[in-house]
Order: sequence, then structure tokens, then C-alpha cells
Amino acid sequence: MSRAQTAHRIALLFNANKIYDREIITGIGAYLSSTRVAWDLFLEEDFLCRLDGIEHWQGDGIIADFDDPAVCESLRRSPLPVVAVGGSYEDERDYPLGLPYVATDNFKLVRLAYDHLIEAGLQRFALYSLPTAQGNRWAQEREKAFRRLLARDGFPIEIYQGLATSAPGWNSSVEQLIAWLEGLPKPVGIIAVTDARARQLMQACLMAGISVPQEVALIGIDNDPLARTLTRIPLSSVIQGAEEMGRTAAHLLHQMLGGVRLPATRILVPPVGINVLASSQHEALNSPYVMRARHYIRQYACQGIKTEQVADYVGVSRSSLEGYFRRELHCTVHQEILRFKLDHACALLADHDLSSAEIAIRCGFTSPQYMHAVFKRELGCTPREYQERQQSTPTLATRTQ
Amino acid sequence: MTSYPVTTQDWGNYRLFQLRNAQDMRVLISDLGATLVSWHAPDRSGRLADILLGHAGPEGYENNGPYFGSQVGRWANRIRDGRFTLDGVPYQVDRNQGGQHHLHGGHAGFHQQVWAVAASDGGLVFSLQSAEGEAGFPGTLRVEVRYSLDDDGTLRMDYQAVSDAPTPISLTAHPYFNLNGGEADIGDHLLQIAADQYLQVDESLIPVARCAVAGSAFDFLQPAPIGARLAWPDGQLAIAGGFDHCYCLNGGTQALRPVAEVYDPTSGRELRVSTTEPGLQFYSGNFLDGAEGRRRYRAHDGFCLEAQRYPDQVNGPDAEAAILRPGQRYQQTTCYRLGVRR
Repeated sequence: MSRAQTAHRIALLFNANKIYDREIITGIGAYLSSTRVAWDLFLEEDFLCRLDGIEHWQGDGIIADFDDPAVCESLRRSPLPVVAVGGSYEDERDYPLGLPYVATDNFKLVRLAYDHLIEAGLQRFALYSLPTAQGNRWAQEREKAFRRLLARDGFPIEIYQGLATSAPGWNSSVEQLIAWLEGLPKPVGIIAVTDARARQLMQACLMAGISVPQEVALIGIDNDPLARTLTRIPLSSVIQGAEEMGRTAAHLLHQMLGGVRLPATRILVPPVGINVLASSQHEALNSPYVMRARHYIRQYACQGIKTEQVADYVGVSRSSLEGYFRRELHCTVHQEILRFKLDHACALLADHDLSSAEIAIRCGFTSPQYMHAVFKRELGCTPREYQERQQSTPTLATRTQ
Repeated sequence: MTSYPVTTQDWGNYRLFQLRNAQDMRVLISDLGATLVSWHAPDRSGRLADILLGHAGPEGYENNGPYFGSQVGRWANRIRDGRFTLDGVPYQVDRNQGGQHHLHGGHAGFHQQVWAVAASDGGLVFSLQSAEGEAGFPGTLRVEVRYSLDDDGTLRMDYQAVSDAPTPISLTAHPYFNLNGGEADIGDHLLQIAADQYLQVDESLIPVARCAVAGSAFDFLQPAPIGARLAWPDGQLAIAGGFDHCYCLNGGTQALRPVAEVYDPTSGRELRVSTTEPGLQFYSGNFLDGAEGRRRYRAHDGFCLEAQRYPDQVNGPDAEAAILRPGQRYQQTTCYRLGVRR
């Protein structure tokens, strides 16, 4: 028997004009080459999906994009083994019945984008989605995920679906998008449901003079190199596990061709990472770490704390804390501790008749000599001179008496 | 070379030693079992978290059922029926896995011994003597593990052993990692293992065949999410309740080479494993459900990558490579390197 007679004929029903679908097909190809399984693949020459007459196609199995409602409908009663590929659903009832289903995990895609914006220091968030349609139920699933996450954390939920993209409606849809952007309190972190959507949003920001990432920090989904080359500011994006979805779908169909029945198998594939570029590298003006650190220093500076204890309290490494301090306060953690000690020593000298030895102890200096040296370096005088100067200058309170 | 001094503290009846580096990583190791107790490491934004699973205190390690963090020996993994023949002499060693097979050194397991500790050149040397006949093994074995932590985040373990009589030997470390610090299970961790083949097991987890990973859930030649792979329909996964299988690492033995990588997209932490050993047991924490540790663990809350000789190798075609003879020196090196991807 020749190989051509034994090879299974498999149809791949995808619109492979987008990176996501192309990577799924890449994954199917990778599975076939690793196993040396020979499938005759049926794919349209332009890599687009046409369903006319698919019910008469003489083949052995199908892997298809079930995000497309037309595909869903035409394969509903297919007698062939079919593996469905698509987005995950929050509601169990939204999955097609009786088929193995390989999904990109919409909740985890949005969560990864959201966690990244939180990490970047943002405290306000919005989602730029797509108008509700049967063809993009995944966008509505990403809206659901966004709602769940923000409700969990108690943030206000801001979602804009915008208009469907069309040449005649382009101007007015850009105007409306700009109006929405201008109405958002800044700074804001925006997740776009796709990189194509993120690209439009970035263009609108630039037209409206809204700075990215300072006022709007932006992250898309897909990690599409084409969208990236068309944006002036490199676009951050969540990378889907699309290749693994392809491998998984191929494996399931391979099993089914061998007679295994898998009607209830559902495999959710998580994202593989984020490509962090300039569009989301927002530097919060007040890093929560620096705020926490200063809070701690204010309380304990005079008890002789060291940088290490501050880092432990904040829960970050010493080197990252130093990095945050350098960026925001232009000093080291040690200098900040010293400044608080010095301020406190100055206050004591001004208001009390205490010896410098006593003040050095109370302010956490290791010795009066060290305090003396710090005064000379920072204020250009000794503690005693400082005290004399303060006491000779009448304060507001003494003048009114 | 790290310039941070090793520090010591009392820990119940035992002691804890701390290694640290310039990234503020802190690794705590106990003399009980030469155990890796905790490892604090920064995530993508510098936040430190403990990326190991473990018990809350020393008492937990005295009866360390899951082998959290321990050094395992004299024979890591399983020996069928606890039986092997060496130079024509049959031996019966402890059958502590369900009364049938030998597992992890039996009742004289190194994980429950108190090791002698000495500081050495910025690192720590743990040493142990395992007496002739312990758990049924021949020969008095002297074992040494040197731990060191460098500023790149590499925890290096150099093993050496000598024996006064021929004995099987396979030493490994048994840390359970969770790179997100326990905020979620390990399902979304992406694993890559440089192995074209793995050992299929029977119902009692004894290897029975060497198989290609291609086309199966076991193919981690490209990075793949552990949780999604656990959902693949696969008879081998069904037997073990997940992954508990030894990979036959590519690239021969003896040379220290990179063999596996694990990446957690949420925290950005990444673990890279390199070893001189031929085998790498991948265990996806299948039996963790309900285990009481620093918190109550659930299945798949942690994973292990244990570099070792092949399980039951003493009963296989390559048995001699698992035997240490007088005059020879057993040596193995395994490195766990923790970093972040931005």
C-alpha cells in the first residue's frame, strides 16, 4: 500500500490572516513533523476559510475555528471526527456540545495584562473592546474577565466597545474614541482586546496629544508583529499559547483517528507571556513601594534601622528598592533615613535643652561624633551652633505672646 | 563568588544555614536531611517570595512524607521489589513503597539523617556516613554535598561519595518549586525538557519501557504549560495521576549541561536546571492534596525536577553505571538557577 492511500485527509478551517490562527496552524505542523504522522492537509490557497460544500468534502477529519459562528453551524452535524478550537467561555453552556474543544484562556489573557498594569503602578483601568457580535464572542468574554477582576479589586469598571471599523465611518469613530479617551481620568491603564484595536487606540492618543505611556499605558493581546511595526511607540502585548493549542488539537484529532472517543475533552491553554515594550512602561509618580518605605522610615528612622530592614518591611529586594528610590526621590534609602534622623535632631535641638549626646541617642545616631559630622556635612554647622541659631531667632509663637 | 557570610541559627533540635547573594536571594538549608527549607527570590518587579514548598517547622521534616526539599539517597527513586544482584550476590533492600518496592533510601533515607556541616569558601559542605547494611545496602558510604549560591542566582550542588564495598548509588535533591510563590498552582508554568525519550511505568510506577516523547503529553522539547498537558488523554498520566516519570536526557552524561527550563509568565520567574546526570524525574506534585506544610497544599501546587540515575537502573541493562566501587569516586553536579524574564 502506498503512503498516499494511507494518509488521512484533514481539513483545517481557519482564517489564517491573523497571527493567532497562523500560530495554531504552525502548532499543528510542528506536531505532525515531530511524530512523522502524514496527513494530507486541506487548506484554501489564500488561507481563508470557505464553507460552501464542506459537507460534501471527502475527508477523514477536521480541525476548525469555532469562534466563527458559520463554522460552528456547518460542522454541527458532521459525521467526521472534528476538533474545535476557539476562545474559553465563562458560562459552561456556551461551549459546543459533543466535541473536544481546545481553548485560549480568555480570563488568563486579561488577568496577565491587568496584573502587568498594576505592577507598572497604575490605579485606574479601562478596556477597549469591540462591538458585540456573534463573530467576536471572545471579545465579550474578555469584557467579562475584565469586569470580574476589577469588581474583585473594587475598581470602577470602564469599558468602551467603540464602532466597527469601516472606511466611511472612520473619521467619526476616531472622534468618538478620542472623546472617550479625553473623558478618562489620567493616568489610566488600558487593555485592548486585540493588538489591532490597541493600534487604533494609540493612534487616537497621538492625534489627541495624549502621551503614551505617561497618561495612557497601553497593552494589547496577540503579540502581532504587524501591529507592532505600525505603531510609533512599541506596543506591549500578551502572547497567547496558540502554537500549543495547535499541537493539542492535532494530538486530539490523531487520537480520534485511531478510534479514541473524546466528546467531553476540553483543554484550556494559558498565555505564554507578555512582551513588555514602551507602551505600558508607565512610571508611577508615587510608587507604592516608596510610599510604604517612607511610611516605615518615618516611624523607625530614629531607632537605628538600616536599608535592609526597610526592604524587608516593603517586601522587595534591597536592590530594587534602591532603584525605586533613585528614580523617584533621587537619593538612596540610607540618605532618606539619615534625612529623617537629621530632621528629628533639628527639631529636638530647637525645642529642648538637651545635650548633643542625648539627642544623638534619641535620633538613632551611633555616636555624638557621627551626628556632629552629619550636621557639618549637611547643614554646614555643628549641632550646638544650630541650636544657638534657632534659639536666637524668635519663633512665630514667641512673637505673638 | 558571593561575598555574603553564611549565617547560622538554631532550629529546634537542628540548625538552619543561610546562603544569600547580591540579589537578596536567601536560601535556608537545614542539617536535618541537608534539606532546602526555603528560597526567597525576586519576581519581575523585585518582590521577594519563597518559591519552595515545605513544612512550617523542624518537626514537619522529622516525618517528611513528601520529601520536601531533602537530599535523597543512598538510592533515589525506586528499585523493583527492593531486589538487585551485584557481582553475583543477591541483595534485598527496604521495601518501603507500599511494602513492595524500594523508594528513596528506605528506612535509612538520607533525608532523615542529621548531616555534619562545615563552611567552605563561601559555601556549605554537608557530609554523612551511611553504614554498611543500612536499609540493606552493602558498603560503608561516605557522602558529601556542597551547596553554593552565586550572584546570578545559581544554587549549585556538588556531590561526592566513596564506598569501601561495591554499592548502588543515586543521589538527588527533592525541592518542590512553585515559581509564583504559591499564589496559584503550577498549571500555568511553562516547562521545557531536553529529552527525546522518557521511561514509561507500570501500575506500581516501575519503569518498563523507554519511549519517544514525540506526539504525547510528555513532549516538552518546546515549552508547554504543565496544567494544559495534565488534561491530555494519556494512559501514562492516568497511572501516575499526572507526571511522575523519568526523562532520558539528551546529550550523554558526565558533562554539566542545561537540561530543563521552567517559566512562570505571571511572576516572570524562571528556573533553569543543569546537571551531569542521565535522568531527570519530573513530578507534578500529584500526591500533594491535603499535605500539611507551611500551608495546606493541593495537588499540583509544586513540581520537582530531580536529576538522578534511572529508576531501577540496577536491574536494567546499564546497571554497572549505577554502581560505585572501592577506589572510585561518585560525582554529580546539579544547578538550579533562578532568574526573571522581563
